[in-house]
Amino acid sequence: MSYVLAKSQNDDIHKAGECGGAVTSILKYLLDEEIVDGVLALSPQNDVYDATPTFITESDDLLSAAGSYHCAPTMIGDLVQKYLFDKKVAITVKPCDMRAVEELIIRHKINRDNIYLIGLNCGGTVSPVSGRKMIDLFYEADPDDVVSEEIDKGKFIIELADGSEEAVKIHDLEEEGYGRRNNCQRCDVKIPRKANIACGNWGAEDGWTFIEINDEKGQELIDGAKKAGILETKNPAQGAIDGREKVEGIMIKMAKKVQDATYPTVSEMDEWSRCISCYACRDVCPICWCFENCELNKPYFKDEQNIPPTPIAFQGVRLSHMSFSCVDCGQCDDVCPMDIPVSLIFDKLQKKYFNRTGYVAGVSDDIKPPLYSPEKTEL
Amino acid sequence: MLEIKHTLCPSCSVGCGLNVIINNGEIVGTFPYKRHPVNAGKNCLNGRNSIECYQNKFDKAIVSKSETDIEKAIEEVSKELGSADSSNITIICSGNNDMEEIEAIKEFGESKNFNLAFYADNLKDFADVASYDEVAGASKVFVIGDLLYENPLIGRRIVHAKQNGAEIYALGKAEESVTFNIADETSNSTVEEFLENVKGNIDDDSVIVFNYVDSQDDLDKIEALNCKCLPVFSKSNSKGTLGIIEPKSLDEMLELLDNTKVLLVFNDDIADELEYDFSKISKIISFAPCSNKTTEISDIVIPTKTWLEKEGSFVNAMGETQTFTAAVESDALSEIEIIEKLNG
Repeated sequence: MSYVLAKSQNDDIHKAGECGGAVTSILKYLLDEEIVDGVLALSPQNDVYDATPTFITESDDLLSAAGSYHCAPTMIGDLVQKYLFDKKVAITVKPCDMRAVEELIIRHKINRDNIYLIGLNCGGTVSPVSGRKMIDLFYEADPDDVVSEEIDKGKFIIELADGSEEAVKIHDLEEEGYGRRNNCQRCDVKIPRKANIACGNWGAEDGWTFIEINDEKGQELIDGAKKAGILETKNPAQGAIDGREKVEGIMIKMAKKVQDATYPTVSEMDEWSRCISCYACRDVCPICWCFENCELNKPYFKDEQNIPPTPIAFQGVRLSHMSFSCVDCGQCDDVCPMDIPVSLIFDKLQKKYFNRTGYVAGVSDDIKPPLYSPEKTEL
Repeated sequence: MLEIKHTLCPSCSVGCGLNVIINNGEIVGTFPYKRHPVNAGKNCLNGRNSIECYQNKFDKAIVSKSETDIEKAIEEVSKELGSADSSNITIICSGNNDMEEIEAIKEFGESKNFNLAFYADNLKDFADVASYDEVAGASKVFVIGDLLYENPLIGRRIVHAKQNGAEIYALGKAEESVTFNIADETSNSTVEEFLENVKGNIDDDSVIVFNYVDSQDDLDKIEALNCKCLPVFSKSNSKGTLGIIEPKSLDEMLELLDNTKVLLVFNDDIADELEYDFSKISKIISFAPCSNKTTEISDIVIPTKTWLEKEGSFVNAMGETQTFTAAVESDALSEIEIIEKLNG
């Protein structure tokens, strides 16, 4: 593992990208050198709250994906495994994306040789609908006037069309029930170290991206982009490295506080009493890959005649099957029509499993998924 | 090429947003549309399965159970329309039709002096309906039907109301329901009895949400309560259609069908909705994108574009007009194009 500070040598990218545009430049290098067939990254459709995964094959189109989109809590692992399995793809990944991809690689659903993982450090994401409401309530701004947003130094910062900025402390927003999504508040993986490189502004000087190079492939990326003349790098000072480590430490500490506060509050059976057995949580789960062959589709688990559904027949079975591998991405919460805090229930059990075995889904170097490991039998 | 595009869910009147995944020009899946204000990326199973209509769409027209060319099938339709008395020809339009189609179908029917019928779940239009936010902010919610199970994205607002401290009074046909699980009081009575029992509890911040009634009289009783209400329809544009075409009650529909010799069904599955002996009708002609119970009993089936292949607008249950654009290109004809051909 090593560190560099990097910025784009391309003026347009430098201007459009976050922290000097290093990520966009690396993606451009990969496309221009035909190292990848395409880049899967977030690009806004109608506004900054509406970024969706976009497959980009021409480097000129990368500018549309430059910048940060904290109000677009999407996942990309399932798109890669279902539709891009045979392609060489570069993917920008938050820690939960990375964890999902890692779990899918372990399950042979994504070919590690085919992908470049460009990690993005993450302090959390905000749901777009509640994010707009939050801006309406706590900022002197019209949500429609926001042209960009970022999370920095504990604040959610918006930039308006006239160039002005407004910032509110995330802690204050979360006290009022807004701010980051619940799973993000308790997430204790902030830097995606299984990605080839992990990029962010923590510890970086203005106009530069701090990059942690996690493996040989990551080093080749940086070296290649430099050689292609699109990336400039320099070594970070020790103070920058220490500063970044401090930020990560504080965020993890805050997350653990949230975990301790929220795990005891959830009552599974009460929450499941609203379950309509629509399978949205299963279908969106980036780790669930069986699709039509899922056991829960088998007649002996089908519960369609029971209204209300019996929670154990769906939720209970899925919990026992998948919670060990939960990466706490919160997609299940996001899509549940009944607002059941599915990820809280699953993450709570994953943490219990972690306490017994040390396994952190998508992070641990244990190459076997828990279901195939000896720990399963012991449990 | 992999793309994700916005559209609307067509599976009920709530008006949820839906993203579709397009791979090499074909729709292959759905993806949460989290920016959509109605559902914030949450879709029920019906909504997520709605793309099956596109995936199973008709390739050919069908005449007398045999696949045929669409132009020939449209000629057959013209012949049938020309051979019957207009008073015996009935057009059924649907809440599945978008606003532009409803206007075109109405104009077509009126110009030919055909009977025009629209069935909206035996419900009717209410001029001033509660918004979804008003449901979530209500002090008391009176729920008729298992809204949590059947219309989950309205059900979610009822859950929010409960979490905000509201009292929930639920009526259902079954002994148990998902809505009952969060209700303070539950009932299996008739709608009339339920309304009679709860009317003393209704205050200014109350809302009645319902997706069925037992009779048309129940609708008048709901209206007489002077309380905000939200009828939730089974189809995406029933509310919009109600603004253009007067709906028929169940009894009126059955009576009209008794007097019909040629029945034109525009994107509806009336055979699934109504218990009626459709074999009494001489000719049934369906205009539909994919198979349903009505197309199965139809003499002629003209394939139409799915909503994913055209642009248009729906009016959702709370009265908001929502537009959508084509997610994919298509060679199929829209209902408006078919009507133009029938008009010669």
